[in-house]
Amino acid sequence: MLGLISLNGLAQAPKGSVLIQNATVITITNGNMEDADVLVEDGIIKKIGQDLRAPNGVEVIDATGKYLMPGIIDAHSHQGLDVVNEASAPITSEVQMKDVVNPTSIGLYRALAGGVTVSHAMHGSANVIGGQNATIKHRWGTINPEDIIMEDAPRTIKFALGENPTRVHGRGNGIQPRTRMGVEAIIRNGFNEALQYKKAWEDYNSNPNGSTNPPRYNERLQTLVDILDGKIIIHCHSYRADEIYMLINVCKEFGVDKLVFQHTNEGFKVAPEIAKYTMGASVFADWWAYKFEVYYSTAYNAAILSRNGAITSINSDSGELIRHLYHEAAKTQRYGDLTDEEALALITINPARQLGIDDKIGSIEEGKHGDLVIFNEHPLSVYAIPQMTFVDGIKYFDINEDADDQRISVSPTEMVEPIYLTEENHRCMQGTIRYYGENLFKHSH
Amino acid sequence: MKKTKNILFAFLLALIPFMVSAQIDGEFVKARTGTFLLKNATVMTVTNGTLENASVLIKDGMIAGVGTNLSEDGAEVIDLSGMFIYPGMIDGGTSLGAVEVNSVAETVDNREIGNVTPNMQILTTINPNSVAIPVTRVSGVTTVLSKPVGGLFPGTAALINLNGYTPDQMYAGFKGVVMNFPSSARRGRFDRRSDDDIEKAKEKAVKEANDIWENAVNFHQMQSEGAEMQYYPEMEQLAKVVAKELPLLIEVNAASDILNAIDWVEGKDINVIFMGCDEGWRVAEELAESGIPVIAGPVQDLPTRASDRYDAAYANPGKMMKAGVKVAIRTNEVENVRNLPFHAAYAGAYGMGKEEALKAVTIVPAEIFGVADKYGSIEEGKRANLLVSTGDPFETSSDIMHVFIEGYRIPLSNRHIRLYQEFLERDPGLGN
Amino acid sequence: MKKTLLRLYVSVLSLSMVFSAFQVSAQSDPTGKRRITDSYAIKDALVITGPGKEAQLSTILMKNGVITAIGSNVNIPAGTRIIEGDSLYIYPGFIAGASDAGITKPEDPERPDGFLSSDPPDEIAGITPWRSAADQYSSSGKGISDLRKSGFTIIQVQPDGGMLSGKAAIMLLGDENTSNLIQENTALVASFRGSRGMYPSTAAGVMSKFRDVYKNAEQTKNVNDQFGNNLGTRRPEFTETSQGMQDVISGEVPVLFSASSELQILRALKLQRELGFKLVLTGLENYEKVIPQIQESGAGVLIKLQAPDDKASKKELDEDASEAAKEQLTRVQEAYQAALAQAAKLEAAGIPFAFSLVDAKPNKAKEAINKMMEAGLSESGALAALTTNPAEMLGISRVTGTLEQGKMANMVIATAPIFEEESQIKHVVVDGYVFDYETKKKKASGEAPAEGIEIAGVWDYENAGPAGSNEGTITITKVDEGYEGTITYDNPSGSGKASAPISDIELSGSTLSFTFSVSAQGTSIDIEVVGEISDNSMEGTMDLGDFGSYPLTATLTPNFISSK
Repeated sequence: MLGLISLNGLAQAPKGSVLIQNATVITITNGNMEDADVLVEDGIIKKIGQDLRAPNGVEVIDATGKYLMPGIIDAHSHQGLDVVNEASAPITSEVQMKDVVNPTSIGLYRALAGGVTVSHAMHGSANVIGGQNATIKHRWGTINPEDIIMEDAPRTIKFALGENPTRVHGRGNGIQPRTRMGVEAIIRNGFNEALQYKKAWEDYNSNPNGSTNPPRYNERLQTLVDILDGKIIIHCHSYRADEIYMLINVCKEFGVDKLVFQHTNEGFKVAPEIAKYTMGASVFADWWAYKFEVYYSTAYNAAILSRNGAITSINSDSGELIRHLYHEAAKTQRYGDLTDEEALALITINPARQLGIDDKIGSIEEGKHGDLVIFNEHPLSVYAIPQMTFVDGIKYFDINEDADDQRISVSPTEMVEPIYLTEENHRCMQGTIRYYGENLFKHSH
Repeated sequence: MKKTKNILFAFLLALIPFMVSAQIDGEFVKARTGTFLLKNATVMTVTNGTLENASVLIKDGMIAGVGTNLSEDGAEVIDLSGMFIYPGMIDGGTSLGAVEVNSVAETVDNREIGNVTPNMQILTTINPNSVAIPVTRVSGVTTVLSKPVGGLFPGTAALINLNGYTPDQMYAGFKGVVMNFPSSARRGRFDRRSDDDIEKAKEKAVKEANDIWENAVNFHQMQSEGAEMQYYPEMEQLAKVVAKELPLLIEVNAASDILNAIDWVEGKDINVIFMGCDEGWRVAEELAESGIPVIAGPVQDLPTRASDRYDAAYANPGKMMKAGVKVAIRTNEVENVRNLPFHAAYAGAYGMGKEEALKAVTIVPAEIFGVADKYGSIEEGKRANLLVSTGDPFETSSDIMHVFIEGYRIPLSNRHIRLYQEFLERDPGLGN
Repeated sequence: MKKTLLRLYVSVLSLSMVFSAFQVSAQSDPTGKRRITDSYAIKDALVITGPGKEAQLSTILMKNGVITAIGSNVNIPAGTRIIEGDSLYIYPGFIAGASDAGITKPEDPERPDGFLSSDPPDEIAGITPWRSAADQYSSSGKGISDLRKSGFTIIQVQPDGGMLSGKAAIMLLGDENTSNLIQENTALVASFRGSRGMYPSTAAGVMSKFRDVYKNAEQTKNVNDQFGNNLGTRRPEFTETSQGMQDVISGEVPVLFSASSELQILRALKLQRELGFKLVLTGLENYEKVIPQIQESGAGVLIKLQAPDDKASKKELDEDASEAAKEQLTRVQEAYQAALAQAAKLEAAGIPFAFSLVDAKPNKAKEAINKMMEAGLSESGALAALTTNPAEMLGISRVTGTLEQGKMANMVIATAPIFEEESQIKHVVVDGYVFDYETKKKKASGEAPAEGIEIAGVWDYENAGPAGSNEGTITITKVDEGYEGTITYDNPSGSGKASAPISDIELSGSTLSFTFSVSAQGTSIDIEVVGEISDNSMEGTMDLGDFGSYPLTATLTPNFISSK
């Protein structure tokens, strides 16, 4: 679409300017504005109001009768990653998803077509403490990972409790953890070793003239130290109330308060605790029963969490769901009667808060990024269709203008394009989790 | 979007008859039958347009009347002012009732061992008390095709209503033998076979299918000539397809496979329904020409090829329908069959139109399954499968207020709702 | 771990002792195979001394592996073997920047008791920077003679293994009985390959582990520096791994990183930016869009010497194919052209590059280079990529890469300008040893058919083959614009005869040529037949590519109804 965005490795991401006129503007944080205009200049929302004028050369888009909302944010995705699980050890905190971002993954364009401008590209759930995640902006058209990794987004890391890590390591490899007790022990071991590591460096650094040697450098432990020092937000794959409660307790004990739960199917049972001690939960709208630990779930989870004051978001963890998160959020109106504002917060400002980027995105406010999506109908209607999606004021999706074939690279030797029946994928996905404990379809829960 | 209304309200309505006595701990609201007059509603008949301010009389499990001047005698009257009556929705393809927890093998009963097992009856394994059944029916889905999965002929599917205590009470009058047509698609990203290998594997499977079919044809021929046949339950079941006693439900998805399946069916005097047809839009003309009806879906699905337009799956049912194919919609789900209205809505929004999308989950599947005399619309003389909603039942902002299945008033409760009731305001709340 | 510096002339350990002119063991040579002299002269050949140089009629004199004279006026001393260079073209010997020829994978070490897949020993996890390719290399190993036959005289070989498999070594493709090691410890070979079933198992794990290994090796070095200076410092804890990394950290040795795709290239560059090592990228296949980043990094570049298979881009669609199918084919064709044009873009960007031969077929090398040239790579650029660029990158340009007095006697001697289609390699000289190759009969080149020559009809032929002799018939029919036909042959995967259509049938003068392909054990072999016809009989060769070239004889039974 745009060709190569930047030439060198650390180029500035491109920023655009656009004036969108006469829309119903859903600001999220400040109510709706009828027949309003939003001006984005150099990637930043400059002005929101009536009868705004476009500076010279700035494109004007008439959105009469349409709805404008902030770009949707997915707090749990694996789109745009070449590797999801480094499943070989119970703690792999040194592993970084930023190393394996693939901006040419077609899933990113499909997400844009669903109005999603930012996603949290996460390590998988094979390990108790997995790798560090990447928060990415969907700037489609580049091959350079640096172009889509969101500048200034805080570091986040994946934790995982329950069936997945106990299956992969306990049953798969015969090492701890095999149980939820073991999962707690692994986390405690990691945190305590990290404290020792930190102390060893402090001792070394306090004696610079040297009769002691530096401790052996260890990025794995250093990352855990950074967690304990509050420099990294934990995003923890979890299902059952007991394991959620366990991690809350462990984190309290170690003074960690940057904690978000992911999936959290039984979060509703400990909603008051989640609300008080954590940065909330990111959940599915209605997924349940695909494995035992989600059998006692309820589609009212998001509503219960929200109404208990927990920061709540709805995520996809799926190349399919990421395309209609607005519809997933709308399900909270059937399952728990959330208001429009509450429902839309689940996919905008709330995930932004959980990713530590709510000062930049998640609502239409002056000074925030020009990440916007135009819908033909109210985004919570089941018939709503995204029309255009902007990131930093640049249009990356246009329902009328885009070519069907959006692949960035095509193999010169491809005789027949592979056909993937997602009907099968959907089933296999669940099977592969069971047998391999890793996510072949970037679709593991 | 959202009017302040609460699903609990619907639940309480169902409770009203029992509320005279003090609530007893653990009391359970059962489905109950009787004579009901649903009054003052907007009736979406599907087959006979919209009736404003009309009533529907339910008696003996049947729709005993649709109109404006129906007698209230002996009927429990339910005033539905401002509400809408729709036929119960039919999901044309699921494994509901046959799988409880997908990752727990002990609860997965839709996949038998063997390549040719048409004698496996899904109806046998339908668990009337599956937790997913009440979770599904409160959305207004009253009837589903539950089907086996697996090999070439994995078994026999059955249409079931989502109420009843035995499979037979649930059975809704249609069965069909499932066939998975040999596929040229990849099994997933891990499938690294060469194009040639895929083609060869498919050709081998087609040849195998032909041999098996020939067996079935011969079996049927000898049987009808009065020969005493050896016990061969697989062939007995396939022979019923040859004899047109049962239709063949062919799961086929890739465009070239659909064309092959059309060829394969041609010249065989059997009843055929296609299922899936993910790439049906590529060969919509040929499908229409074949006259074979299609149960399409899931609609909320990814395109089959990276080069496809992002909305290929959403737009697929509409494209086939516009080419002249008779299209019903399925979720192909188990625990989330409740999303059927949303799959239909997506088909509607992406080209099929709302009206046709509604038909694709009501009258069209009823016709395809040959049960349109009983299900699929609000008409006098049909079975009383219907839903009452506060608005368009495809919209998430609408609440489903009542569901009737075979004249039974279904309690609008299930585990999801009960957990909501218990945990919305937990007591004790925070604190030790 | 000491660097082996240019040991060419001090082949101490060499078996060549036995054959050396200065042997110490006072043995004669009862095999009769020893060369009688190490002095050669190639007389009056057209010599291209390096990339961009015009062919000059010259004589090259060499002795003891060194070019001793080159020019139009060279005195040839007595005792020199003379090769008539008349009409031959001489080029500097080719050099490949990376290869796995001659390498045998070392045995996997046994897993120790208490093996933890989450924390495996380096050696098992593919982290073996201390290993040397020289230890895994054999001059008679697989692929060596094929490479030499294609004109390669020096290769940098990389050890087999995991993410850090060990150190590369520069090898001469010389006489098997001499030591061919030029230099050890020339690069640390790295890839994104994870270890199966243990840490690190993915590219993400590999990148983290790479940083860990690197930073700890740095730390070991710092401690070691301290150890010498500061009393009271505990000794550094050397490991094989940290020792193997020292030359990389000091910048003496680059990391040779396998990165075939654009994303892998960017990942290798990312590690380089973070850690600051010298980097050579190797095995590049798709790199068009990251040429600016490569340029900025200053990394060395070894592109894979291979053109993509053209089957997909040559696919033909039915007339009633959909627009979408046509567009997709166009994209494949554009991708194909773009892939071929990448080398030209590197050249245009001024990035000197050489070739990697890992996973590339030497017998397709020329075809690949020709396609790159058709897509814009200059002839001098192509020759530089085969000679001066790799010599420069490997630090051996003082002694090889061009043909000059005093440089190593490594050269390629061909029947025509090297990149021309009919050009064939007749000799390759490595380290002063001359390797001779049979040249095929000149392929038909569009001359008018000689009068009175008839090829239509049924030919009975026989030839020797790799698995014994083979016989069959060749049936040729005249059609409107040319000929068509079939050939039968002994079925390679069973008994009886198999047949295949023949194509590219050409009669030029009295030379008949055609090609066909045979499938056996899942691979397809392209076979070319060229023969000279006289009096209804033909003598020629059947060329089976990698499997060799074999003489063929045939006789024609004219078929008078064969013209349609």
